[in-house]
Amino acid sequence: MTTVLAVCEQRDGSLRKVSAEVVTGARRIADALGAEVEALVLGSGPASGSDQLGGFGADRVVTLTGDGFGKYAPEGYAKAVADRAKAGATVVVCAASAQGKDLAPRIAAKLGTGLAADVTDVMVEGGALMAIRPVYAGKALLKVKLTGKPAVLSLRPNVFTPVQRPKAGTASTAAANVPAGRVTVKEIKAAEAGALDVAEAPIVISGGRGLKEPANFKILEDLAHAFGGRAAVGASRAVVDAGWRPHADQVGQTGKTVSPTLYIAIGISGAIQHLAGMRTSKVIVAINKDKDAPIFKVADYGVVGDLFEIVPALTAAVKSHA
Amino acid sequence: MKPSQYQAPLPLDRLILKAGSEGAGDTMELDVCIVGGGPAGLACAIELARLGKKDGNELNIGVLEKAEALGEHNLSGAVVNPRALRELFPDLKDSDFPFRRAVDKEAVYMLTGGSQIRMPTPPTMQNHGNYVASICELVRWLGGKAEELGVNVFTGFPAASLLVDGHRVAGVRTEAAGLDREGKPTSSYSAPNDLTAKVTVLAEGTRGTLSQGFCKWQNVGSENPQIFALGVKEIWETKKPLDRIIHTLGWPLPTDAFGGSFFYPLEPNLVALGIVVGLDYGDAALDIHVLLQRLKMHPLFKQYLEGGELVEWGAKTIPEGGYYALPARRSGDGVVILGDAAGFVDVPSLKGIHYAIQSGIYAARAIFQALKSGEPAGEKLAEYDRLVNESYIIKDMKKTRNMRLAFKDGFYVGGVKAGLMTLTGGKLFGGKISMHSDAEAERQLTPGTPGSRPGSVGISKVDAVFKSGNSTRDTIPSHLIVGKDITKEVADFYSHVCPAGVYEQVDGQLRVNPPNCVDCKATDVLGPRWTPREGGSGPKYKRM
Amino acid sequence: MKIAVCIKRVADSETRVKVAGDGKSLDDAGVKFILNPYDEFAVEEALQRKEKAGTGEVVVLALGSATAQETIRTALAMGADRGILLQTDAVPADGFVTAQAIATELKAGGPWDLVLFGKMAIDDYNSQVGPMVAELLDLPCVTSVSHLTIENGVATADREIEGAVEVVQCPVPAVITTDKGINEPRYPALKGIMAAKKKPLEVKPVTLGGGSIEVLEMQPPPARKEGKIVGEGAAAVPELVKLLREEAKVL
Repeated sequence: MTTVLAVCEQRDGSLRKVSAEVVTGARRIADALGAEVEALVLGSGPASGSDQLGGFGADRVVTLTGDGFGKYAPEGYAKAVADRAKAGATVVVCAASAQGKDLAPRIAAKLGTGLAADVTDVMVEGGALMAIRPVYAGKALLKVKLTGKPAVLSLRPNVFTPVQRPKAGTASTAAANVPAGRVTVKEIKAAEAGALDVAEAPIVISGGRGLKEPANFKILEDLAHAFGGRAAVGASRAVVDAGWRPHADQVGQTGKTVSPTLYIAIGISGAIQHLAGMRTSKVIVAINKDKDAPIFKVADYGVVGDLFEIVPALTAAVKSHA
Repeated sequence: MKPSQYQAPLPLDRLILKAGSEGAGDTMELDVCIVGGGPAGLACAIELARLGKKDGNELNIGVLEKAEALGEHNLSGAVVNPRALRELFPDLKDSDFPFRRAVDKEAVYMLTGGSQIRMPTPPTMQNHGNYVASICELVRWLGGKAEELGVNVFTGFPAASLLVDGHRVAGVRTEAAGLDREGKPTSSYSAPNDLTAKVTVLAEGTRGTLSQGFCKWQNVGSENPQIFALGVKEIWETKKPLDRIIHTLGWPLPTDAFGGSFFYPLEPNLVALGIVVGLDYGDAALDIHVLLQRLKMHPLFKQYLEGGELVEWGAKTIPEGGYYALPARRSGDGVVILGDAAGFVDVPSLKGIHYAIQSGIYAARAIFQALKSGEPAGEKLAEYDRLVNESYIIKDMKKTRNMRLAFKDGFYVGGVKAGLMTLTGGKLFGGKISMHSDAEAERQLTPGTPGSRPGSVGISKVDAVFKSGNSTRDTIPSHLIVGKDITKEVADFYSHVCPAGVYEQVDGQLRVNPPNCVDCKATDVLGPRWTPREGGSGPKYKRM
Repeated sequence: MKIAVCIKRVADSETRVKVAGDGKSLDDAGVKFILNPYDEFAVEEALQRKEKAGTGEVVVLALGSATAQETIRTALAMGADRGILLQTDAVPADGFVTAQAIATELKAGGPWDLVLFGKMAIDDYNSQVGPMVAELLDLPCVTSVSHLTIENGVATADREIEGAVEVVQCPVPAVITTDKGINEPRYPALKGIMAAKKKPLEVKPVTLGGGSIEVLEMQPPPARKEGKIVGEGAAAVPELVKLLREEAKVL
């Protein structure tokens, strides 16, 4: 039976959520190809959460250890995965996370094959492995065929929703037998204290002129806090121009383009620039007192009314569900 | 309310600098410095480069263009008369030029609110033999030709001041880049550059700042002040094909406003449409952008636009003063003025591009001769004026010298007068009709129609600016000089004048959003003064 | 100080994307092409390091069609010393094929003190050619670098990871791919633009292998499903939260 390798990711000894997505994606491919899924964890020992990987579709979980493998060791990890793949994998699946974007190309090059990066969908058609990947900032989707042996792909995070199955995989540990390599991670510094960057946050809450004055942005900050550190507060160009919010928070036009999982537009009418900045967000919620505001055309869910009543109510609801 | 009362004066102390004054970073010496990379400037560069090459003496020619790339600040209808291009490129055929299609069918309509009346095409508007084109594409093509000939094209470099030495124009100073909102240098600061040249060519286009500065500084007057129209234009991809060029008069323009609309197919399903309105209209609440949105709802247009997609939007003023508004001379010591900057536009036929190119060719010939003569070339540039004055440019403009001016008495009276002028080849109503400048025209502060929500094919000003490709950085310092004591009514007036939403009236105060500006210059004509700003700011027209 | 910077000519990010007649690529009518913004950081980094060293050469390399010469000239106008165009009509969809061609050229032109790339191209978002070239040249590599210091033969780089900054070290020579924040790219000066025309630009036609990633088609993204107004006022909040949790699954 052929193998689909799912390259998981750990940090400080715990598996990151994206690992479940990688295994899920690998499982989908394996089912279509009639193959097995081997989840690979690289680290100084089994990472916590490895036992759950079977539940996401891994037939076996292999932990590869090595000197210097505790932190991300780009060259060592790449060699370890490539060696493992050469032993009989037809497909290698990574995450297109910060680490995966660094690791996957190295693996592919070691295997002398191409990499379909940042993929949002996979399928097997006529026995061939296909993938969909966004290009031009999501303004187009490319369908590609992977003919490499093995084929290597990286999955965009937050897309392959982990699917649980009632199956446990076997677990084993093996020594990777490769040196960590010349590139070493010295330390991991916390991101600058304070707000998450709007371009990075999984949840963005943006405010516009409907907030009436700068002090009222506190309502949005409260909502952001209710999401427990995963939300950033953004701003429309109008309020940035008026000096209410810093330019770094601006979404749209010459501010940032954001693509969070959840985008909440509050008191923003929906000028095209702003829409262009947040158009590829997964889910868009709009709150505005004008039911004809253009933003409602783009929003998945809209609430019409007074934001000064709605937002605090939303904050309370989110907090109570937290 | 007279707009001129609230206008700041032309900032001559900024526009005219003594050569060698402090403040420049780099300096560069050129033989000829051309300000403006449009059809006039590039034609001049091409002809000059060719003359130099033929003579075995390669000239050092620099073209300064404020846009980030050639074409991005150019906008026109356009239906182009190919004669000047044929003269510039005698070895090429019409099919080699970057035209879109030859004009085939055409129609002129008088519009009413719900229908249209077909009119006979006035003789001044016969376009057979002309071509529908995108001026952006034409400019990029000319730019390629210029660079092939060794011309240096510097995009992203706006000329902000003339450098002068006594009465002589010695070159230009460019605008700085990388200043913050307060005008202080940021980490990406780039100092102004001084370019000195034996001859400076001002090909800035409509309402050129340096051209105005030169004329004021050297007291070069004209019989009538220059007047302007504002054109607002969109490009649409349509489901229904358009097979003819269309011009309309009448609705939705009020009867005291001069202008009309155009509708041209670049391709059967790629159409350019726009409305052009003289800026001397009487109602202070008139909003030309809104007029265009209204125009699109007319069945004549809506039938094409419904289900289509708006791909570009833009705006630009057009000098409409005609023959009597031309500066008495368009040359000076070390300087010549070309194209729209000089006012070479024939209003009845809506043509200016071939005059711009032709003026560029004449300027090149005059400059080349002057450079060859060895003496300070700058003093021998009157030859350019002579060439233009004896050419079809002036002949054409003389024939139609009063057409536009006749309309100052309103649409119907003007129409009759214009008709008679055409029939008599300019002999009737031939004496100069005097005209005031647009800013001097009184405006009625009748409560205007409130900004209406755009219809199904309409677009708001903010969205329009986005569609112009404008991505000017939001922290840019303001380039607009606002006059004193701006009342609530004046702020309202400005908000209607500007098609890009730069001005708003908020709680009785004027709020200025400089990054929105698309450099149409309407503000310079009726409101706050426009000055050059960091290179690359403004619109990024692709096929306008 | 001998530094190679690999750059790419890409469609401007404001491009309205239309699919060409072949159903697989961008219709480039009216499209503005620019130097990939992430590559600007790489060019700037190279120029700053050469200037600091006082001596050396910055060579710019691109793979693309003849029009990519314009893009190389932009880098030359910024201050790079010479350029090389690996000319091919079709830029491969498979980044590994690109990497192979670039690695071959770099190997022939080396050794290099530093090889720089932008972290990714804004057209294909592949983020791969840099580290693949490093693999092929057997050079250490750090990607997405937002801060770089090189001292005593060791490069120390900051790279952004989720919610944190990873500090990485490796010996030089190395391959570095640059991210926003590493520097502020300079505007080409007038003199630079003029001088660029005279700097050497070698055009070398290349024949490329087929690769293992084949583009089958390009499509516009699916239209967003029609949204719905959930309700009015604060009373709509419970329903909104329910939908976000159960239907959209974002809470």
